[in-house]
Amino acid sequence: MPSVSIIIPTCNRPQLLPRAVESARAAGTEVEIIVVDDASQDETAAVCARLAGIKYIRLDRNQGVAGARNVGILASSAEFVAFLDDDDLRLPGSLDSQVATLAAAPKAGFVCGAMLLANQNYRLTGEVSAPPEKDGDVFWQLLELDFPVMPLSLVIRKQCFLSVGLLNRRLQGIDDWDILVRIAELFPVITSSQPVGVYRQPAPWSGQGSSMQSGQLARAANHQLQLFKLPRVKALSQSQRRAIRRRTINRVADTLLFSAWKSLAQKEFGFAAANVTTALRLNPFRALRPAVVRRMGKTLSERLSAKNSNPGGLKSPIA
Amino acid sequence: MSLTSIIITTHNRPKLLRRAVESAFAAGTNLEVIVVDDASTDETAAVCRDLSGIKYVRVERNQRVAGARNLGVLASSGQYITFLDDDDVRLPGSLDKQIKLLQTNSEAGLIYGQAILVDQSGEPTNQSYPRICHQGDVLWELLGQNFIPCGTAVFRRSCLDRVGLLEQSLAGIDDWDLWVRIAELYPIIGLAEPVIRWRRSTPSSQQGTSAADQIVLQSVQQFQQSWKTLPRVLSASHKMKRQAWRRFSANMSAHLSFEVLRALRQRRLAQATKNLFSLLRLNPAAMLRLVRINNAHSSL
Repeated sequence: MPSVSIIIPTCNRPQLLPRAVESARAAGTEVEIIVVDDASQDETAAVCARLAGIKYIRLDRNQGVAGARNVGILASSAEFVAFLDDDDLRLPGSLDSQVATLAAAPKAGFVCGAMLLANQNYRLTGEVSAPPEKDGDVFWQLLELDFPVMPLSLVIRKQCFLSVGLLNRRLQGIDDWDILVRIAELFPVITSSQPVGVYRQPAPWSGQGSSMQSGQLARAANHQLQLFKLPRVKALSQSQRRAIRRRTINRVADTLLFSAWKSLAQKEFGFAAANVTTALRLNPFRALRPAVVRRMGKTLSERLSAKNSNPGGLKSPIA
Repeated sequence: MSLTSIIITTHNRPKLLRRAVESAFAAGTNLEVIVVDDASTDETAAVCRDLSGIKYVRVERNQRVAGARNLGVLASSGQYITFLDDDDVRLPGSLDKQIKLLQTNSEAGLIYGQAILVDQSGEPTNQSYPRICHQGDVLWELLGQNFIPCGTAVFRRSCLDRVGLLEQSLAGIDDWDLWVRIAELYPIIGLAEPVIRWRRSTPSSQQGTSAADQIVLQSVQQFQQSWKTLPRVLSASHKMKRQAWRRFSANMSAHLSFEVLRALRQRRLAQATKNLFSLLRLNPAAMLRLVRINNAHSSL
């Protein structure tokens, strides 16, 4: 019996999928690779037929990423599950080492490693996104969006879903955050700075879900109010809850402003405008701090006037 | 390995649970009974410990019916799946009979049967539902009305690989939604004999439906946003679509009219008003029928 199932939802990206599947195969010895074809309308089915040793599930009606992941969980016969997007990669041996860690800690809900960031052509940028160095109870950080983590870098104990439920299909793009918060409410977590995957960063034009950053963060901020119904949050005093809310809103606004500033430097004005608008809606006072406005304005005027200046030389508007 | 998984979801109703479980075991051979305890806060867990042979799944955070049913499927290993509510009763041998029929018809995705209606005191009436068991391609009938009582339906696990799981945000119509999605792709078998005893309080609703207006509102949304966009519905003729909507809205207004009167009779005026407003929005002409029904009732 396989020890871990790696679930790869895919929709209309047959050119990228085989690479992800091969990386999953090299990531562990007792791996069950489950490809959930979310009603692709192209040659994905034929491409999958040529991939040896995978469990292929064909959804005839599109379920979205969360729905497809749920169907994958249902098909899994292993004790642990991992998720992989069809355009990301798993590093060799990474599943084996994470599974060993999780198996050795029977109470833990999931283990979480680091990711190497890459551009759209899978070229590594040299950046590494590692989870905070904190084991155990990470519920509050996750709830406050202060625990950057992606499904790519996780191995989850399947049993956890029976306690907290499956992924929520209606939460497009933030279903993964939602389920991790719900798991972390009840189960301790193990983190590691060991890289386990390659994350192909979305470009604003790539049409990937995560490039819709402003919408996604705004939805996350909204959905946090639903997560406030979890018993551990309910048990807090009202002022504690308010403090969590304030910190989260400010953090989201800052993230949006920072990436707005970065995209200004790259002259992606539409993307920058979307982020600034969302930040303004969340917390106008935060977005209109003089320092932020000054730096944004400076960058904007520089970009508009000079054509070839170096974005690397700019300072962050968020000090 | 068990052939069939009976999934019983329960929440704070330990008294009824035992009867449902016993009836499940008597309904067939080669089956597993999975009790999904949806975060009950009473003695349900203790009662389940006494029930021998069940697979007990304890959900720590309440998922509501559809979410709990999905978790039951996750915990199950059967090739065929059926749901049973904790206040329903499966009839002896009924499951084996249905499985046999489903096995001999390899195309079909689901088989359902009739439910003997039981009144609130638990006494079976002489009525069964549905009176007519549609078979084959039932998509269009099913869009108009949910004539498949949840506990009677047995479907292949493989159906879920093609249509996805139950939609957990739907309360009270999650089963209807799944039947529609299965019926879009598979023929359905209807067995014209009773397979469960069903405690149902109204002719056209699932449960006590204190908030009939909410269920109708949700159904209308689901019809408009999800069912109408199913590929087979999209590609159907305009006439077919219009007919389906007419049947659906007629059924919904009949249901609402009934609920308006029921709420009135029980002096639940707030709910009656809500139901009435939903009815007006859905179908103003149904008001006339409401008057007629009321007259018929008062003349009785």
